Amino acid sequence: MTERLIWTENASKIYNPDMADEMVALDSTNITINKGEVVVLQGPSGSGKTTLLSIIGCMSRPTAGRVVIKGKDVAKLPERFLTNIRHKTFGFIFQHLNLIRNISVQENVSLPLYPDNTSFKEIRNRVDKVLDELDMLPKIKIKVQKLSGGEQQRVAIARALINNPEIIIADEPTAHLDHELAKELLSILERLSRKGKTIIIASHDPFVIEHGFVQKTISMRNGQIENVKANRV
Amino acid sequence: MIRHLKILDYALSSLARRKYKNATIILVYSFTVSVLASILFLTHALKTEAEKILTEAPDLVIQRTFAGRHDLISKEYVEVIKSIRGIKNVKPRYWGYYYDSFTESNYTMLGLASKLAKLEMTEGRMPVAPGECVIGEGVSKARLTGIGEDLILVDSQGMGVVFEVVGKFNALSELLTNDLIVLSDNDVIDFFGFPEGKSTDIAVEVFNENEIQNIAGKIKKIFPDTRPITKQEIISTYNGVFNWRSGMMLTIFSAALASFIILAWDKATGLSGEEKHEIGILKSIGWDTADILELKFWEGLVISFTAFLLGITVAFVHVFYLEATILASVMKGWSVLFPRFQLIPYVNIYQIFVIAFLTVVPYVASTIIPSWKAAITDPDSVMRG
Repeated sequence: MTERLIWTENASKIYNPDMADEMVALDSTNITINKGEVVVLQGPSGSGKTTLLSIIGCMSRPTAGRVVIKGKDVAKLPERFLTNIRHKTFGFIFQHLNLIRNISVQENVSLPLYPDNTSFKEIRNRVDKVLDELDMLPKIKIKVQKLSGGEQQRVAIARALINNPEIIIADEPTAHLDHELAKELLSILERLSRKGKTIIIASHDPFVIEHGFVQKTISMRNGQIENVKANRV
Repeated sequence: MIRHLKILDYALSSLARRKYKNATIILVYSFTVSVLASILFLTHALKTEAEKILTEAPDLVIQRTFAGRHDLISKEYVEVIKSIRGIKNVKPRYWGYYYDSFTESNYTMLGLASKLAKLEMTEGRMPVAPGECVIGEGVSKARLTGIGEDLILVDSQGMGVVFEVVGKFNALSELLTNDLIVLSDNDVIDFFGFPEGKSTDIAVEVFNENEIQNIAGKIKKIFPDTRPITKQEIISTYNGVFNWRSGMMLTIFSAALASFIILAWDKATGLSGEEKHEIGILKSIGWDTADILELKFWEGLVISFTAFLLGITVAFVHVFYLEATILASVMKGWSVLFPRFQLIPYVNIYQIFVIAFLTVVPYVASTIIPSWKAAITDPDSVMRG
């Protein structure tokens, strides 16, 4: 039986409202994402994919409408509650990776565990485990800027997984990868999907959209949902 | 607790990442603190030393003035002053300044009877016979002479006079004895060629300290050509002079202070794009606003406290071990400029708190405020810039 994990009701996002440069990024969007589903938000640049991801991931708030995560409307929650949800529920893989330069792989991956009461020893164990799963353990002490693009991508994935999040959000994850690396990334995401993680990807890369493990494709244009297509997996 | 340790750990790693930028900030910051602390340390040490000297000073010093300038005073005045009620002791003092062209130093030559009771010697004894003297550490070093050796000076007639050094002062403070040469009264009279029956000034002690002003008034009334100077007036003059000089220095220093304020303001008015982006990343991976503020607090505290300690240490070494080389000429004035002397390290803990409050607090605040602005913004907006 499918369990609704996330849904939006007329969620809109307007940047610089009532100003000359007002921009409607999302316009009354309604989507539903079920637990364990792999969903791709697709559409051209400026269609609102990243904005919708950011609202779903509690990285910003809608200007209007509701965003419900695990039965709780997060649209009007105070910042500290949103932080808590981000911390415990989501793992983010950003388009530009957003790794912190000049610190090691180990430190980058550990960062999500700093603001809680996990001990240094426990952090080390969890980092070792997640890096081992991604074949990155030998590079643990290396500074991230010295890694190849694919390795950096895996560090970003490791950081997203360190909290053992229920939902993984990936924004254009293959945008800066060659075909081989993109294939490797998708196989990692597929593996995570098999472990029951809910995965939401924003992408306009046909290789991602047409990949076999994607269960639902939500097409967007001009900040609106154009259509929702369930794929046969 | 573990959470705070982890955030501190990351703060240190974060500072190490921007080591050149932070080293520059610490350098400018330490310089500012050291200049401010040097001025305050030196002023305080000079004032403390002056106060120590003046506790031994006579209640009243009577100088004669002529044409508005200090002149020698007749010993006849002594007998008249003695007859005023309430006076404990009156004695003429013989002293003068000697410029030693050989070492380009000024020495103070003092008659034995004028010596302050508190002066102690490290070795030797006080002069008992004509031709003997006790010298301060500065004179000893400048003239490369010591006990059992000779000190040759040129008197008012241009003749060389040989004194035997029989003792060296153990200064409670070198400010008091460093440039001092103590001789018998008669040797001072002969050396400077005092006219018969004249002295440099007259020292007066009274029974009741509350009567000092009244007695000074009576002396002035009897001898209109004199200027009675009370101990309190001397203390006030010293304090005033050192406060004025430190004020002057602080005015000059205000340029450096202004640079520091600009630096702090630059920090306060905005974070670099890289710093904002990092705050956005940390928030997106689950750091709370309070965590970001704690991180920035540690960063600011580490920088400002390091710079503060460095600045205070540099100031301490500069003032008390390097003889305040940079500030001494302004703060001490010409008369005690030579021979060189070392100050005893008197540090007022209140001053340390004032310096810390004026430097650490504004810097930490200027670090936290812009971070707080970025931290309360949605991570998405912060990362988009």
